[in-house]
Amino acid sequence: MIAAIREAVAERLGSCDGVVALRRRNGGVAPHLFQKGDELAEMELSPRYPLMTVVSRLHKAFPAIRLGVVARGCDERAYVEMAKRNQIDPTRLEIIGFACTAEEAQACYCREPSPKHPVAGTPPAPGPPNPLVAKYDSLPLEERRSFWKKQFSKCIKCYGCRNICPECFCEACAMEDMAWVEPGLLAPPFPTFHLIRAMHMASRCVACRECEHTCPAYIPLTVLYDLMRRDIADLLGYIPGADIEAQQPLSLSLEQAPLKK
Amino acid sequence: MSVESGFDPKIVAFMCNWCTYAGADNAGVARMESPHNILAVRVMCSGRVSPEMVIRAFRSGADGVLVMGCHIGDCHYAAGNHRTAKRMPLLRNLLGYVGINPERMELAWVSAGEAPRFVEVTQAFTKKIRNLGPLAQEVTE
Ligand code: SF4
Ligand code: SF4
Ligand code: FES
Repeated sequence: MIAAIREAVAERLGSCDGVVALRRRNGGVAPHLFQKGDELAEMELSPRYPLMTVVSRLHKAFPAIRLGVVARGCDERAYVEMAKRNQIDPTRLEIIGFACTAEEAQACYCREPSPKHPVAGTPPAPGPPNPLVAKYDSLPLEERRSFWKKQFSKCIKCYGCRNICPECFCEACAMEDMAWVEPGLLAPPFPTFHLIRAMHMASRCVACRECEHTCPAYIPLTVLYDLMRRDIADLLGYIPGADIEAQQPLSLSLEQAPLKK
Repeated sequence: MSVESGFDPKIVAFMCNWCTYAGADNAGVARMESPHNILAVRVMCSGRVSPEMVIRAFRSGADGVLVMGCHIGDCHYAAGNHRTAKRMPLLRNLLGYVGINPERMELAWVSAGEAPRFVEVTQAFTKKIRNLGPLAQEVTE
């Protein structure tokens, strides 16, 4: 599979200024901007990394640059929501997509484990929903509360969940505003910190699960975000990451984006 | 009744300047009796009420939070309350997901001319919260 992707990257290096992908060097893997003449044998596909954030930074720093990017399904979904919010310029980006494996789709509970037009890999069957999300509605309030209190009490407020998230790019972050999140308190008092982030992810979260993979405290953050994704679909018929033409409904009027219930 | 149960709830009510706040004011001028539990926070539009403000109200000791504004179609800023109408149900669900009874938060449209409705809504909500008991029970127990 990686051979086909390297080939596609080599081709794009003719028409773009560079291609963003992962590179293995000195025993580690990190994002890299491949340019003409670079050794493509060093290119890697794993571990997953939110490469669209790198694309966004490059697009902002170099307003004329044309890029390619090697992307998974989640990267493409992240791109869709970022482009709508002016974080990436779609006219200056080409996606070289590849499908994840069935095992990866399972592990990520991924419903869409491939970009729309992969150049490599066969799109596997979608992963199952997170079992906790699947049975969530039947859990009594007390059980939910004791579960999340315990989970949130592990938080060391490292902001890793926010920093890794491709959809977190506001210059002024509500989670750093002393009016909403009191400084110096660990763990953050239930339920302030995490509810703010969960609310801000409504209509944005593309279920890439980077936040959950990165959390040093192993807090199952995407259980909440998956529930928000379900609600925004039920309430407003919006699926983050699905359609670049669909405007995000929370900032539209009720005529433009009516409530479904 | 508050004395009997030993619990007198604190309720933060966000009210938009143009409709609900005027409605509350009219209720006062007409000497109608609305619950003393309501702590009014006047905002220019219900669309100004961010989720952070509601969460902070709970964190600061509110047992219930009301978000009130103009009826749909009457918002002074045309579509300000359209955003409220979408955002608040999401926040309500989210409270439920972490185990805070979503009944502790309510969205209500009350116009300047609806002083009796203001009294009705605030009384009914206060009664509901009184029955639910203090939030501290849920958050810190
Ligand atoms: S990554 Fe985990 S520990 Fe760090 S701030 Fe987020 S929830 Fe807390
Ligand atoms: S899964 Fe986490 S990191 Fe990915 S978009 Fe959603 S909130 Fe952001
Ligand atoms: S001005 Fe009253 S809700 Fe907008």
